Amino acid sequence: MGNLMSTSFAPECTDLKQKYDACFNYWYTEKFLKGKSVYNECEDLWADYKECIDIHLQKQGIKPMLDEARKEAPFENGGIPVDKSNEK
Amino acid sequence: MKVFNSTQFYNYSWDYVSAANWCKYPNELSTHVVGVDVLRREFDPNKGTLTTERLITCKQPIPRWLMFLVGGQDKSYVREVSVIDRNQRTLTMRSCNLTMCKLLRVYETVVYRPDPVSPVTRTRFDQVAEITAFASLRQLCDKLEDWSVERFGQNARKGKLGFDSVLKNLEEQWHGLADKTQTLLDEVNEKTNDVMSGVNEKTGDLAKIFGYRN
Repeated sequence: MGNLMSTSFAPECTDLKQKYDACFNYWYTEKFLKGKSVYNECEDLWADYKECIDIHLQKQGIKPMLDEARKEAPFENGGIPVDKSNEK
Repeated sequence: MKVFNSTQFYNYSWDYVSAANWCKYPNELSTHVVGVDVLRREFDPNKGTLTTERLITCKQPIPRWLMFLVGGQDKSYVREVSVIDRNQRTLTMRSCNLTMCKLLRVYETVVYRPDPVSPVTRTRFDQVAEITAFASLRQLCDKLEDWSVERFGQNARKGKLGFDSVLKNLEEQWHGLADKTQTLLDEVNEKTNDVMSGVNEKTGDLAKIFGYRN
C-alpha cells in the first residue's frame, strides 16, 4: 500500500522505523484484521526503533511536552483527556 | 472554545481505509507532515483492540511574523492516540498539539467506521475539532513587547558594532584628509604671501608714480 514510507522525526531512526513499519503493516492487514493474531508481532523490531527514538525525544526536548500530554490524556484511556472522562 | 465538525465518506471498505491510515503520510497534499513515529502500541487479543500512540512532526505551520510566539522553533508536534476495535470495526484517533499548547489547543477526534448504508464498500469519517485559545490579548501583547525589546536590543548591539567598524575605517581616511588639508592650507598661505608681496610691490610703484609716498 503506497511505496513511500514516512520518516522519523529523528533521521537517525528512519531506517529502524521503516523496518518496523513494513513488518507492522503486513501484520495489521494479514493477521490483525483477519482475527488471526493472538499477539503483537514485530515487537522486536519496535524495541530497536523505540530505543533510538527515546534517545532523540530526550535530546530534542520533546520528552517533557510528551509526558505532560500523557498525564492529561493517558494512553490507557485511549487518549481521552482525564478531565473529559470525569465529566461523563 | 470553537468546534469544527465534518463528515466525509470514502468509497473504500473500512478494512482498506484503516490499513491505509498507517500509510497516510507522506502524501502530496500534506507536505507539512515531516515525521510519523510510533511511541507505543498495544494489542489486546481478548478485546480485539489495538491502541497506538504516535508523534506527528510538522513543519511549523504558522506565519513567519508569528514565529516569535514559539521562540523560533521550526517544528511543531502533535501526539495522537488511536484505538482500533476490529470487532466493532471502528478506528478512533484522538490528537492534541504539543507545541504552543499554552496558547492554543486543538483537540481533535476522528472516527472511521463502515458506512451504515453500504458497510462493505463505503467508510464514514467523522471529525470533531475543539479549538481553545488560552492566551489573552494582554499576554500576546506582552509577548510581542518582550520580543520587540529583545530584537531591538540585538539590532542596537549590531548597530553599535557596525558603526564602530565604520568609524574605525573613516578614522584613517580622516587623518589622511586632515594631513592633506594642512598641506593645502600651507600652499594657499604661501601663494597668498607671493601674491601679497607682488601686490605690495606694484602698489609701491603706483604710489611712487602718483606721489602718494612720502
